[in-house]
Amino acid sequence: MSDKKERGDNPSQNQLSPKEQSRRDFLEASGATVVATAAVTGIYTPVASAQSNQSEPEAQPSTRIQLNVNGVDHEIEVQDRWTLVELLRDHLELTGTKIGCNRSECGACTVIMDGKNVNSCSQLAVWADGARITTVEGLARNGELSPLQQVFVEHNGPQCGFCTPGQLMSATALLTSNPRPNAQEVKEGLVGNLCRCSNYNAIVEAVVTTGEQGGAA
Amino acid sequence: MSEANSPVTPLATIGNSTARIDAVERVTGEAKYTRDVRLPGMLYGKVLRSPHPHARIRSIDVSRAAQLPGVRAIATHETAPVVWGAGSISGGRQYNDPAKEATLHRRFIFNNPVRFVGDSVAAVAAVDRNIAEEALSLIDVDYEELPFVLEPEEALAPGAPQIWPEGNLCPDFRNNFEPMVSNIGDVEAGFAAADQIFEERYATGFIHNGQMEPRCAMASWQGDKLTLYTPSQGISNCRHDVARDLGLAVHQVRIVCNYMGGGFGNKNQNQDADLVAATLSRLANAPVMLEYSRKEDWLGVHGRWPTVQYYKVGVKDDGEVTAIEMEGFSGMGPYRKNSGGISGMDVYACENRLRSISPVYTNRTTSGNFRAPSEPHGFFAVESMMDDIAYKIGIDPVEFTLKNMRRPTEDRPFTNYSLDECIARGADSFDWDNRRQTVAGSDPGPIKRGAGFAFMMFRSGVGTSSAIVRVDANKNYTLFVGVTDIGPGAKTTMGMIAAEELGVPLSQVEVVAGDTDRCPYSVGESGSRTTIMTGGAVVEAAKDLNRQIADKGFPAGDDVLIASATPRPTTDGKTRQCFGAHFVEVEVDTQLGTTRITKYTTVHESGRIINPTTARDQIRGATIQGIGQALHEDLLYDQESGQPLTAGYYGARHLTHIDVPDIEVEFIEVDDGYGPFGAKTAGEAGIILAPAAVANAIFNATGKRMKELPISRDKLLGELA
Repeated sequence: MSDKKERGDNPSQNQLSPKEQSRRDFLEASGATVVATAAVTGIYTPVASAQSNQSEPEAQPSTRIQLNVNGVDHEIEVQDRWTLVELLRDHLELTGTKIGCNRSECGACTVIMDGKNVNSCSQLAVWADGARITTVEGLARNGELSPLQQVFVEHNGPQCGFCTPGQLMSATALLTSNPRPNAQEVKEGLVGNLCRCSNYNAIVEAVVTTGEQGGAA
Repeated sequence: MSEANSPVTPLATIGNSTARIDAVERVTGEAKYTRDVRLPGMLYGKVLRSPHPHARIRSIDVSRAAQLPGVRAIATHETAPVVWGAGSISGGRQYNDPAKEATLHRRFIFNNPVRFVGDSVAAVAAVDRNIAEEALSLIDVDYEELPFVLEPEEALAPGAPQIWPEGNLCPDFRNNFEPMVSNIGDVEAGFAAADQIFEERYATGFIHNGQMEPRCAMASWQGDKLTLYTPSQGISNCRHDVARDLGLAVHQVRIVCNYMGGGFGNKNQNQDADLVAATLSRLANAPVMLEYSRKEDWLGVHGRWPTVQYYKVGVKDDGEVTAIEMEGFSGMGPYRKNSGGISGMDVYACENRLRSISPVYTNRTTSGNFRAPSEPHGFFAVESMMDDIAYKIGIDPVEFTLKNMRRPTEDRPFTNYSLDECIARGADSFDWDNRRQTVAGSDPGPIKRGAGFAFMMFRSGVGTSSAIVRVDANKNYTLFVGVTDIGPGAKTTMGMIAAEELGVPLSQVEVVAGDTDRCPYSVGESGSRTTIMTGGAVVEAAKDLNRQIADKGFPAGDDVLIASATPRPTTDGKTRQCFGAHFVEVEVDTQLGTTRITKYTTVHESGRIINPTTARDQIRGATIQGIGQALHEDLLYDQESGQPLTAGYYGARHLTHIDVPDIEVEFIEVDDGYGPFGAKTAGEAGIILAPAAVANAIFNATGKRMKELPISRDKLLGELA
């Protein structure tokens, strides 16, 4: 059980009074950091050994892979611990693919890999050796939105838009195998793509409409 | 009395379904969210979190972590004692600076003692996220475990572990340790006048906001100026709070949020991630991208407070409610981030109402605002209570409502009132009389069908915000508004309001938003206020610009005309509310305990609708979130260890595509003469009724009154056994 001595009797505990805290002049005390990080003082007590640690990280086990992303061939050295979504976002600068959970619960990271929609957070980059991958950046051709993207624009497919790339990739994969899905088929095809804005009705309507208008391609 | 509802007159831009002005960016991956920002030399930050529900840190040793190659900065409670003012506020008043200043129980960006599983202990910046994560595992923390308490009522019992020295009842904004009490009329007289008195306990679960974009922040210092890229529902308030917490002047902080992946209330103001990123960046002298994992976001940010609510209601034999009393307990976690409110009883006309709410500290994760912060759990309980009474005394719940719902009075006029119309239209299009079982539970099953209903009114007050609008010689208009777009489409809505008032097409208006260095103050995307308040400022700025153009003509050459406005509108002492009624039909599988929604009808009056498509989808999405609260969502804890068990989407069992019914949305459009073109609240209104309506439908189908949310399979099967 905690007790009344908790506040104030141990300088290492967070017990600054409100005024003491608010009056600390953060800048005056720490402004020297523009010269050298080790000189930061005041509100912060730097851990000098960390701030002065400029050593480069140790080399990690890595593998050279080839893959095609959105029609472009890449040959790249990837760390064996990188996930596919890390490769896409951090090293190929394709940030349209989003990370919502990093454990295959939400589908925000969905890409199409060799024709199938997969969670790129749960694929290692090395597994993509030799693969053909399409991300949301690859849906538009020559600056023209795909029919599915165009219907998403008109039917309010995105609310916050964070799940939208994943929804689009699962829907594109679905429309490729089933060009005119009904609402139930769309729901089943996109079941792994969560939308916390819960814009599910509009997304399903958009995919069904795309099929009715002639498909994704 | 209320003014009559007058139909809206058609307008040129407003009222037409309009694609979002940034829709193309959202469907091509071009939209840059915070985690998509890249700066030269950027580092990655990670936070170390407490594995214990309550523990004192005896010592913390970072020497091994500091020596790991690639580590560039480490911060702990000892080295970075930064107060997170918005993280714990006496009275939970999030927009009240004096309350933050006076707060007794302060939350820091790193805490000792730690008070819940997931409380922040330390943070590391390193050249990549793998090294940052590895460094966390090299920080040696010696914890002295302390007793913990998880349930609010237990936390108030004598002998309970004390989370703060003064006990576990949260202080109010004056640091008094009293429940929040609202006492209207004379409940004792009301109960004396009643023919029957009903008493019941209801309880509701913790609902994580669960926005798709996990919390993150990118901090970068330019000398003594801090630029923070962060997903914020309110960049102006975020800037103000970051400046205060770091001891900076407001102009030394720039907040940028061009796109954000939802929030539903947990991205208001500043967040600890903003301060941690700024701290690591300052220490490492490099930009730092701080990323939370989904689990960290679930435990380290916040969700809707769980509640326990005891009701006592007096009723006459003819169905008139004579007194309502409620004693409630809200589990706030160990910090008072927001109010802990429980709303709902005020939508009844009954003049004798006593409400007492105790916001209580527990060693669960922190509670805070989620879309309509005080409403869905309160409306669930009070409208379940009233529905139950209606059946017990043999009155149709809709008739019971029409008899007892609050209406405008001479003393308390409304700007307009359309609840009767919402209920009548909803009952008609839903076919209430035929879908409802007159005798609850009379469907023989095994799949039992039934219908439920709930109603609401909700604040739609006006208020202050700012806007700037500019025109150049080519008649290109630029609107500067400090909104972000959390999802409802605020940039588009603001552009439409400007276009309407300026009398030009939307394509002629560029909207600049999401950057405190470029945009004036906006209240932020919380409290369903943006359309009304910032929209109102847009109207006034546009009017001023039109006056300037009329006086001086359009500018020539490189000249521009600029107008700004910060109006302070009022409703002339009248109450301004939006209104709604939800009707739902369910099928309960009495063998499996599952509930399927077979029809869901909503009727809302949210004033004039600016953009029908996005407004409709606000109601649909909010309703579906509310269904999740009704049927699935909670954060369960192991009572022995204090460990959370169901953090994340699978654990909370958020609704997916296949769980979701079609939500029918009908708007009654009214221009009451207040707000921009008569616009009212929409975004929060949709979530308020689903838990009550679904629970009432389950009762109608099964005859079992489900008193605890979520109404999960185990609870239903327990009742049906």
